Amino acid sequence: MEGGEKPELIVNGKRLDGRDFGELRSLKIEAEVLKNADGSAYVEWGNNKIIAAVYGPKEALPKHISDPDRAIIKCRYSMAPFSSLEEHGRTGPNRRATEISKVTKEVFENVILLDRFPGSEIDIFIEVLQSDGGTRAAGITAAAVALVNAGIPMSDVPYAVSAGKVGDKIILDLNKIEDNYSDADIPIAISPRTGNVLLLQMDGSLTKEEFKQAFNMAKEAGKTISELQKSALVDPYRKLAEKYKV
Amino acid sequence: MDRIVIPGELLAERPIRSENTLVEGNMTYATVLSLFDEAKGVLIPLESVWYPKHGETVIGIIEETRLNSYNVDLNSSFKGMILSKFSETRFAQGDIVEAVVRDIDETKTVMLMHARSLYGGKIIDIKPSKIPRIIGRENTMLNQLMQGTMSSIKVGTNGRVWIKGGDASLATEAILRIQEEAHTAGLTERIKTMLESKNGNGNKV
Repeated sequence: MEGGEKPELIVNGKRLDGRDFGELRSLKIEAEVLKNADGSAYVEWGNNKIIAAVYGPKEALPKHISDPDRAIIKCRYSMAPFSSLEEHGRTGPNRRATEISKVTKEVFENVILLDRFPGSEIDIFIEVLQSDGGTRAAGITAAAVALVNAGIPMSDVPYAVSAGKVGDKIILDLNKIEDNYSDADIPIAISPRTGNVLLLQMDGSLTKEEFKQAFNMAKEAGKTISELQKSALVDPYRKLAEKYKV
Repeated sequence: MDRIVIPGELLAERPIRSENTLVEGNMTYATVLSLFDEAKGVLIPLESVWYPKHGETVIGIIEETRLNSYNVDLNSSFKGMILSKFSETRFAQGDIVEAVVRDIDETKTVMLMHARSLYGGKIIDIKPSKIPRIIGRENTMLNQLMQGTMSSIKVGTNGRVWIKGGDASLATEAILRIQEEAHTAGLTERIKTMLESKNGNGNKV
């Protein structure tokens, strides 16, 4: 929890930005935004603006890190120095960025079919241009779209979202101020096809029942997110096919 | 129109084994963004990564010359290799070569055969999933491109197209358009119109 006075996060049964407890922020996903990358995606999630780029599979370098049985993933999450007004806005591989890079990599190790490209590496870059809480979830959602755009074989397209607790209320998709002053905050990444949980972290504390409620809320929201991920990938193709329909 | 599917989407409740599917029990799922033809059970990838297969033609660049072999860059995680004993020509670093995949060894090196140099010209990189469309059914699209632009064009399944001579800029434009519209109907006709209207001397295609 941050220092200073704790602000009132729920006013008249609504959250500070006027959302309901289980409501997502506005979400816009676009695929193939970078020409030079093998795959890319841009996500606007509330005030978060995130670009994800994917390169590879290519030869794993340096050679000693390569695995002769499977591809390896390198993931770099980074915040632009101008992405936030506060302390999050330091760029480069700081402690927090290193942690998020690691957990993101582990999410994708579970869905990418790594054994199809032995000895190679897949690079995932997540750049946060503007941040407003929940950037690791938004980054995973964007990177999943970028990976599909790169044509990398995957068993599923995962999504991520955060849930949390303010007072006795469970809320979904925390923004920065809620994130800083909430009683609990859980980013969750799920593989929608199997329902496998790929990422689960928790700040603060929840009872078992509260956790179940938060988890179900995230799973419910995941349907919307998955739908948007799919339309970001499919719509450009569908539009062109409609245009030249015979 | 065929159904556009994303990775993890259920294709059929029967096993369909192909390069881009995942079979779990009796269920088949897609692993890449692709078009699925329900009737034939065929999956055509829209985005994919090149995987070398025996007999395919590739276009590579000589990266390094060694005592009895050449290392070839194939724009992929797979490294190419030409053994001097299988090649009559000698290559230099930077040469563009057209070759056929012989086999893939246990270190994931693609052994190449029938290598020959392509002199001059330029290379453009294309998504490997769009290459079949550039070639067309029984080479129709490729022949049409070569006639319409008077260029010589070589297509490598690893996602490289080599163009030399003729109206190379028109050929590039047409190939990039094919890449963009690969999944649409009536593309051959549109490219024909485009080539006829732009090739200056009114060459019939």
